[in-house]
Amino acid sequence: MKNIKPISWIIGSTVLLLVVATLSLLWGQYPITLETLIGYLQFKVLGGVGNDTYTLLDNIILQIRLPRVLLAILIGSALATSGAAFQAMFVNPLVSPGILGVLAGASFGAAMGMLISEQWYVVQLLAFAFGFVAVGVAVLIGTMVTNSRSTVMLVLGGVISSALFTSLLSIIKYLADPYSTLPAIVYWLMGSLTMADLHGVLLISIPMLVSVIGMIVLGKYFDLMSLGDEEAKALGINVTMIRLGAIILATLASSLSVVMAGIIGWIGLIIPHIIRMAVGPSHRLLMPLSAIVGGAFLLLADTISRLAFTVEVPIGILTSLIGIPVFIIVLKNARAAWN
Amino acid sequence: MELKPIITVNDLHFSYPKRPVLEGIDFTLRRGEVVSLLGPNGCGKSTLIRLILKLINAKRGEIWLNDKTLHRYSHREIAEHIAYIPQYHNVPFNYSVLEMVIMGRVSKLGFFAAPSARDYTIAHEALERVGIADLAARPFGQLSGGQKQMVLLARALTQGVDTFIMDEPVSGLDYGNQIRLLELIVSLSTQGYTFLKTTHYPDHALLVSSRVAVMNHGKIIADGTPEEVITPDMIHDVYGIEADLIVHDTHTRCLPIFNKGTL
Repeated sequence: MKNIKPISWIIGSTVLLLVVATLSLLWGQYPITLETLIGYLQFKVLGGVGNDTYTLLDNIILQIRLPRVLLAILIGSALATSGAAFQAMFVNPLVSPGILGVLAGASFGAAMGMLISEQWYVVQLLAFAFGFVAVGVAVLIGTMVTNSRSTVMLVLGGVISSALFTSLLSIIKYLADPYSTLPAIVYWLMGSLTMADLHGVLLISIPMLVSVIGMIVLGKYFDLMSLGDEEAKALGINVTMIRLGAIILATLASSLSVVMAGIIGWIGLIIPHIIRMAVGPSHRLLMPLSAIVGGAFLLLADTISRLAFTVEVPIGILTSLIGIPVFIIVLKNARAAWN
Repeated sequence: MELKPIITVNDLHFSYPKRPVLEGIDFTLRRGEVVSLLGPNGCGKSTLIRLILKLINAKRGEIWLNDKTLHRYSHREIAEHIAYIPQYHNVPFNYSVLEMVIMGRVSKLGFFAAPSARDYTIAHEALERVGIADLAARPFGQLSGGQKQMVLLARALTQGVDTFIMDEPVSGLDYGNQIRLLELIVSLSTQGYTFLKTTHYPDHALLVSSRVAVMNHGKIIADGTPEEVITPDMIHDVYGIEADLIVHDTHTRCLPIFNKGTL
């Protein structure tokens, strides 16, 4: 498979993403045929005589399905690229986006928001802010303990920061009203894309795309970073700046994913592995493919969660249930790919 | 005629917490030389190399690269003058040989640029020069130690510089690959490349070097031509063993004297 040209992989995976996106727009409690969708798109783009169906489709597609499709793609891309970036940076294929505590911090922030306010924007703001605070704590511990900017200390800083914010989250859960706030926190932590609204999705799409594209641009430097700091420096790259840039971009992407959809696990770990198995480890191709396939994977999982069960299963549960067996399958081959 | 200095080290001191490593190093690497840094484990050879590459910073003293002190160079600028060839090692992701070699070109690319067809041509030429063009598509992790070392040398060639720093390049290589690598160093030096390398082997230093600097306890205790520096007395002082020097063909060789049953 490695003989296939990079551009063919990009085009192929983009087509896959578009197919999944189209199916996701068509399928649901109110099924839409492809002809109806094409007619509706022609009507929206070229104008013409509308009808009652199109008014209904305005509601179903523009207000409900499209925001959710876009959000799933954005979050899947963000988590997969963050995971791939961190795996290169920490020279460890078992690292996931939460390694520096961003998910634990954002979870705590959101839970605190639910405890102190009924305003959704407060929840989102605190989730975003504490995602960064947790990573800041990890970096601070990592650089405080030794003067070096060793990645091992950074990872240990992340472990400590995650543990701290997980404990703080437990305190919030303990204090929360067990009949209203606690179930809301627990349900939200399972991950869900149901909160997607078009305006909100378009708003966060800008910083999310910036961070995903930023990480893709850094891809060629990640190859060198994965050789270790000293070799990367000797090959002429500014290791500190690349690492700082990658941490900021991945934290931005991961925090925003928690802000919009709670905790969705496994994507950041397994998607880069699957891509590596198919195309090899070079980050110049791994990063953009992770973005596209990560988006397609989460969208597919979300579409399944909407359709396959009578009650919608929280997406975080489903990505774990799909992710674990997939990871076991890829692990054998992945070992060969790491050496 | 005095050769032009590339690297000049003046009164360099370095210590890890509670452990001095280098104490007052003065050293010069001149264009066209092949210099071997010889010395026992822990004498500070690798530390000196890491300081010259600005991978760590000195406490006292200064290092000049051409006409500027090292702290005025970024790592990217240093990589435009010096290529570093580490000991062969494993990498966490199994890049192909070509992907490993093309990494030597990355610091020359613009922020948004990908390696061009010209960069790939340079990488293929480098593989050709070290004699492993047929390995380009092979996974780096599946190569032998000798092949890996050649890949790292090819990567250094793609940087387009003429000064190479190698840290114990023959370490871990089998007997044949050790000699083949040394022959390649000599061959490249005749084409105008300058080498600074650390070594554990006085015999190798005699074979390939134009100059040898001997380090012990963080100091350079001898610096001169291989024949001046590598003597039975020096071997005894530095390594605590006896050795004979013999002339074979046109080369002076160092043979350690092996005492059976001394324990």
